[in-house]
Amino acid sequence: MENPLFRLIRFGWGLISLPDQVKRLIFIFVLLLIGWFAIRSRLVPETFGEKGHYRRAALEANAALPVAYVGQSDCVLCHEDVGDLKRKSYHRSVTCEVCHGPGAAHLEDPETNLLFQPKERGLCTLCHGYNSSKPTGFPQIDPMLHNPNDPCMMCHNPHDPKPPHTPAECGACHGEIARTKSVSHHASLACTLCHETQEIHKENPRLAIPGKPQSRAFCGTCHGETADSPKHIPRVELDSHGNGDLCWQCHYPHYPEVF
Amino acid sequence: MEHLFEQLQQNFSQIVGYIYPNEIELHWGILIVVYPYITGLVAGAFILASLERVFDVKEVLPTYRLALLTALAFLIVAPLPLLAHLGHPERSFEIMITPHLESAMAMFGFVYLWYLLVVLILEIWFEYRGDMVLWSRSGKGLKKYFYYLLTLGSLDTSEKALWFDQKAVKFITIIGIPSAFILHGYVGFLFGSIKANPWWSSVLMPIVFLFSAIVSGISLMILVYGITALFRSKQIDMVCIDKLASFLFYTLIIDVSLEVLDFIHRVYESVESIHIMEQMISQKLFISLVVVQLLIGTLLPLTFLAFTKLLRFPDELKRLIYFVTAILVQIGIFSTRWNVVIGGQLFSKSLRGLTHYKMELLGIEGLLISIGLLIMPLVILAILIKILPPWQDRTAAVS
Repeated sequence: MENPLFRLIRFGWGLISLPDQVKRLIFIFVLLLIGWFAIRSRLVPETFGEKGHYRRAALEANAALPVAYVGQSDCVLCHEDVGDLKRKSYHRSVTCEVCHGPGAAHLEDPETNLLFQPKERGLCTLCHGYNSSKPTGFPQIDPMLHNPNDPCMMCHNPHDPKPPHTPAECGACHGEIARTKSVSHHASLACTLCHETQEIHKENPRLAIPGKPQSRAFCGTCHGETADSPKHIPRVELDSHGNGDLCWQCHYPHYPEVF
Repeated sequence: MEHLFEQLQQNFSQIVGYIYPNEIELHWGILIVVYPYITGLVAGAFILASLERVFDVKEVLPTYRLALLTALAFLIVAPLPLLAHLGHPERSFEIMITPHLESAMAMFGFVYLWYLLVVLILEIWFEYRGDMVLWSRSGKGLKKYFYYLLTLGSLDTSEKALWFDQKAVKFITIIGIPSAFILHGYVGFLFGSIKANPWWSSVLMPIVFLFSAIVSGISLMILVYGITALFRSKQIDMVCIDKLASFLFYTLIIDVSLEVLDFIHRVYESVESIHIMEQMISQKLFISLVVVQLLIGTLLPLTFLAFTKLLRFPDELKRLIYFVTAILVQIGIFSTRWNVVIGGQLFSKSLRGLTHYKMELLGIEGLLISIGLLIMPLVILAILIKILPPWQDRTAAVS
């Protein structure tokens, strides 16, 4: 005697006028769908979807994670002197933990959990290594040429990184230009011959920007046909040469090749 | 902490110009290169299969079932690079139980499921049902029950039932073609719709992806068909492989034309990003784009295929040329995916600098995992071929 449930299924199966294959596939798909709903009802986390497409309880779980960084305001509670010094320095916007690493553990137990003290040159050059894309006036050095064996801290206090003395040469800050010029025909010319520079520029570069030659006549004092300069210097007819453009619009004065 | 600075310093030495701090590390690595590559192979192999069934290209019949199984083998692996990339593959089932209905990225789950369950598995099931019934009847022991299970108990092999199976296969293939277009077009759409990235943002992206998918799928089938014939010690059907090579040639021409069109469009528009793109192509992507993708992966195969069309070569030489061409096309398509995915992250949003991609060897996002993921579909394919032998003789079918 066949089970009544099977008989019922067999009867229902016969009523649907679809090919046998399709009915079996639909049956499997319906089973899969029921299975999916059953799994879903068990596995979707309780607070899922309350605030968005995420588990709301994850907010609390994340908030409960241990804090690693404490922020500058907590550092200066103990290191007031350093805070005062740094507040007036060029590094005022660089917070303590940028160089010293996360400070939460140190705040808990300052004696045991000492902070990282960067002594290598590598950290400073991450910002101050020469890169032509950095804004003009941002202090940059070439780590290979600028006192290569000495740690930066020997001359510069990182909490108040003023240069130890006013740079004597322009190349101290404008190293790339100085090196280019040193192998050019203009090597023997002082920068100040062309760039009128106030003394204060050396201490506060942006306060007084050096000037640039603004007329063809200026270059003509050496390169003009009638100029009173050594004979091997190239000459041009100032009135007709170069459509009236300024000389440095075509010739790079720090490496003046004719092109 | 100190080792992090050292690592940062090493990375710094590879950077050109100015980049923003969060751009030093690429977030999408080689796994995300493998993902569109594998998905493309799935779509391409399926479209090739549809040629025989929908467009009645009888010459490629020997590859029809093989292409379906290849598409399935690669489709099974397609989401794995994404799951590995997310860092917690053990949590991947969560996307199945809490699907997101509005996220463009989550759409892949729906496209994938549709393609897997409604297109590929159904088509393979209908295509093989008759055979599976026979195997179940003639088999012994476990094999008998295994095939019986696969038939889902549908044992009717009457002419009417088999006729319905074939109609169903044709119907599913017709649905499958737009589905395959959506599957890989979707991957292109994901990149093409990122308007903040000038390397990706292009309406041509889904179409370029699609045609490169077809190219990669056809060349994969030349390889798979050639290698399986070699293992079975069977003669390669030259009419079939000539036809495959012709399709490869035509689709490759369309693919190149689309890419050139995209390139000309970008150069003519010359928006502000053009300078950094130029710098990127001439520096960071020179080998992978100009040498591998363009010369080795596109122009060389095109030349080889053109020669086989223009000159009369003996069959053995032609087979060798097709085989080498297919390998070169695979390398080219892989580097196409590389150039899209990695290239799109190499330049800074400041448009003033280039960063660097340093690939890991070990680790969940490393080279070894990627190689494993590329080998895995071939293993799955070998198992599928064992379970569902796809061999069909063209001449027998025609007669």
